[in-house]
Amino acid sequence: MGTTGPSSIDINTKLQYGMKFPIFTIKDIVNTQIALIDSLKINQLFSVIGGSMGGMQVLEWASNHPTRIYSAIPIATSYRHSAQNIAFHEVGRQAIMNDPNWNKGNYYSHEQKPRHGLSVARMIAHITYLSEGAFQKKFGRDMQSKVLSWGFEADFQVESYLRHQGTSFVDRFDANSYLYITRAMDYFDLTSKYNGDLSVAFKNTKCKFLIVSFTSDWLFPSSESLAIVKALNKTASDISFVEVISDKGHDSFLLEVEGFYQILSGFISGAARKRGL
Amino acid sequence: MTNQLNESLISSLIENNAKVLDIGCGTGDLLYYLEKKKNINGQGIEISQKGVQESVSKGLSVIQGDADIDLVNFPDNAFDVVILSRTLQATHKPKEVLIEMLRIGKKCIISIPNFGYWKYRLQMLFYGIMPMTKTLSEPWYSTPNIHLCTIKDFINMCEILNISINATYRNTNYKIKKINNPNSYTNNLLSIEGIFVISKK
Repeated sequence: MGTTGPSSIDINTKLQYGMKFPIFTIKDIVNTQIALIDSLKINQLFSVIGGSMGGMQVLEWASNHPTRIYSAIPIATSYRHSAQNIAFHEVGRQAIMNDPNWNKGNYYSHEQKPRHGLSVARMIAHITYLSEGAFQKKFGRDMQSKVLSWGFEADFQVESYLRHQGTSFVDRFDANSYLYITRAMDYFDLTSKYNGDLSVAFKNTKCKFLIVSFTSDWLFPSSESLAIVKALNKTASDISFVEVISDKGHDSFLLEVEGFYQILSGFISGAARKRGL
Repeated sequence: MTNQLNESLISSLIENNAKVLDIGCGTGDLLYYLEKKKNINGQGIEISQKGVQESVSKGLSVIQGDADIDLVNFPDNAFDVVILSRTLQATHKPKEVLIEMLRIGKKCIISIPNFGYWKYRLQMLFYGIMPMTKTLSEPWYSTPNIHLCTIKDFINMCEILNISINATYRNTNYKIKKINNPNSYTNNLLSIEGIFVISKK
């Protein structure tokens, strides 16, 4: 959940920040990273690499701190959240905020946390991270037992799987942080300063790029990566792009997908050789 | 061996430090060679994931894309040289690809198999079947070469599209020969492939 967030202690009040924590942006996150490398006296990073929200940070680095990085590898990402992506996040946030135990974010000292809301948010999100094909292949209409509940128990294996995804998530994640992080992704738009013109956002970019997308990722589809490639073609050179074949959906970038690691290591080795490392 | 000859010919036609696009760059061998010989600023387009993977591993910049679809994404005169080596006959819209190439490249180097080559004519004449040789080795129902033409056909299209043919070469497997009269009967008969340097008129 990051370095500091709504679940961190405010030194002034000795209590968790909760909703007093300010809304932060992807820009803020990258600025924190810049502050770190400045303090370490690092002039230029060899590479910044990230997927999904991490990919947004990579794009922010490449657009607004072009001289500080030698290469950028944005994976399964976009230069701005689409309406559908925002919609999914909103459903997740509503699930949390409508949990009676959320208590406007003041739940840290209570015994009851907004577990149900966060669990439902996670279930929705998890569906968006998979592909329909993979879901069907993994679960189909498989049942938990031969006997239906004729009610609303987890009759189907996929239901049981999702419920498990939800409940195991709440043990390791803070509900308020989920609100803030999804908000940061929704607010991200690399073109907002440039009247929607993405190529202007990259006009000072000098780094090498490897842009990666996955065929079954419908949350951040290849069309998003191609828009970035197209914008970069106008102003920059040294761009590589690959659409990796995978049936694992948006989650592909976290999993062992054939060809994915090879292309990453190939790009990094090639860039390292060019850099003289 | 034909590849080596082609590579050194193409290299001789490119200035040092030129910005070069290789359309259909495969595993990046030509781009790699040109980077070493002429220190080019190279970019590739390649349709296969495997080709892109291998090219990127060589340290090259390659975009996975299709010549029929993705050339529109490049701005005008983006490159000093655009190379289309033995690929035009495999595209769906060769005329459009040619027009786009000339829009994005100040100079283009293009090579095509010559269907007017004497061996193909004899095969057709005597056997009455679609010619198959080492160069055109796939059977008619599975070949990627869907738009074959002769050197004369290509030159005629260049006239229609107002394209200037600045130089022509013949590859004889042993050496490369500069051809002074590209539209001659003998050139169309004797060249196994046509190699042209073209630009907008």
